[in-house]
Amino acid sequence: MTPAIDISALTKRYGRTTALHGVDLAVEPGRVFGVIGPNGAGKTTTMRILLDIIRPTSGTVRVLGEDPRHAGPALRRRIGYLPGELAMDARLSARALLTHYAQLNGSRDTARIETLSERLGLDLSRPVRSLSKGNKQKVGLVQALSHSPDLLVLDEPTSGLDPLVQQEFLRLVREARNAGQTVFLSSHVISEIEQVADEVAVLRDGRIVDVSTVERLRAAALRDIRVTVPATSGAALARRLEQLDAAQDVAVTVDAGREIVSARLRDGIPALLAALAETEVLDLVVQEPDLERAVLQFYGAGSATAEEVPA
Amino acid sequence: MSALPLFRRALADSWRGLLGWGLGLAAVVGLYLPLYPSIGGNPEFLAIIESLPPELVTALSYDQITTGSGYTLGTVYGLLGFVLLTIAAVAWGASAIAGDEERGTLELTLAHGVSRHQIVLERLAAIIVKLVVLAAWVTLLVSAVNGPSELDLSTAGILAGGVALLGTGLLTATIGLAAGAVTGRRMIAIGTGAGVAVLGYALNALGNQNADLEWLHAASPYHWAYGVNPLEAGLEPSVWLLYAVAAVASVVAVLAFRRRDVGV
Repeated sequence: MTPAIDISALTKRYGRTTALHGVDLAVEPGRVFGVIGPNGAGKTTTMRILLDIIRPTSGTVRVLGEDPRHAGPALRRRIGYLPGELAMDARLSARALLTHYAQLNGSRDTARIETLSERLGLDLSRPVRSLSKGNKQKVGLVQALSHSPDLLVLDEPTSGLDPLVQQEFLRLVREARNAGQTVFLSSHVISEIEQVADEVAVLRDGRIVDVSTVERLRAAALRDIRVTVPATSGAALARRLEQLDAAQDVAVTVDAGREIVSARLRDGIPALLAALAETEVLDLVVQEPDLERAVLQFYGAGSATAEEVPA
Repeated sequence: MSALPLFRRALADSWRGLLGWGLGLAAVVGLYLPLYPSIGGNPEFLAIIESLPPELVTALSYDQITTGSGYTLGTVYGLLGFVLLTIAAVAWGASAIAGDEERGTLELTLAHGVSRHQIVLERLAAIIVKLVVLAAWVTLLVSAVNGPSELDLSTAGILAGGVALLGTGLLTATIGLAAGAVTGRRMIAIGTGAGVAVLGYALNALGNQNADLEWLHAASPYHWAYGVNPLEAGLEPSVWLLYAVAAVASVVAVLAFRRRDVGV
């Protein structure tokens, strides 16, 4: 099967700065592929190249089997794009602007604009320039989704959205995948990638640091635990926790006659329970694995040589 | 109807501006031309003209101001009408690509099913339509005041004046468009378009001073349009130079915009 996105040895230089250093990436059709990385890592540059807004310095790019540099408007009609820096200052109403974009794509289907706007809670009658940042972001999402493109390229899609709308957006992404659409999205909020992405690429300083599944990232992630025990049994528990695999930051604090033992552990819940079995436990908090920190380990590696690269 | 969506969008977005420029041009025609009967043949006014430095008089083309065609050229076509139309043309040309790009809104348009040359050409078409409307409006207004203001202009002369005025607008608009398409910077686009207009005016004024400087006229778009008064002599071949340069600038705009990165 032809990959929806196939990038190899992609390099982009602006003058003397290099935004992408030979990126290789393949996204299978019908998948949700997340790209995470700090600002300036090259996420936006990669996406703009997919849309032929900017041109690669070297390397090959295939989007839905075609070279965006030469495929022309027909290819872009099959892509829905949400820019990371969404600028909208039109006097006209959201409905008129979205109809205009639909016309550019040769689409006459305005019913889907209405449905999507309703789901995201967007008032289509208001002038675009008067909308808040979050509502402009909704306009951006609707224009990307409304022609049901084969490929969605979404740069920081949930920025500015409130949590309820974010959840609705994630539902839309899952629906798109179930309908066979491919989704390529970037974020620096790892939790949203975690919720929808099948695969994750970590991009740093214009290089792919890692491509992984969310499960593997999660397996590498640490989780915070906090155990409240009666006074005087904290130290013993702390010693047992320290013997667990990859335990970090084990600490004991005293609080109102009780002791609170906190630590950061790599999965190993059975081992944790075994360690706890020998103590009277008054309270126990085990947090979700912290994917963010797992990814930060990738960022952190070699950060001393990090260079400033435009987004 | 969904043909030429960018062209229709561009027109719909700028009708307010077009209305404003139309009112401005109407004010210029309506305020200056009715004064001709009290100025053109007025001995006191002629005395003022004669007391001015001759270099200034030739620079402003006021040496012809005693005829209706000379007065109309010196006030409307060659001065305030020219200035207003040039400002409108440069602003439209500069905003079509460079302005849209700097605002960040061009990126989203490009991400849809449009090609680079389609964007340039449809927006250029909208600018042409607006400039034609303004030139036709001036032609109409001048025809209307021609009799009452005793300007004694021929119909052929008025039409030739409109063609020349339109040519100056097209030239500066397309040069602004091309400079914006090449650089993506609105201020550079405005500076280039306005610079060509100002330089053309200056070269014409310098060339008028004496025979040794007359060769400067060849490089002046202003002189191509008004070196021979079209209101008096009808259409001169040099007017078509304006249209030829505008065509070349349009081609440059398309080719340059097709090949570069947008919004970086």
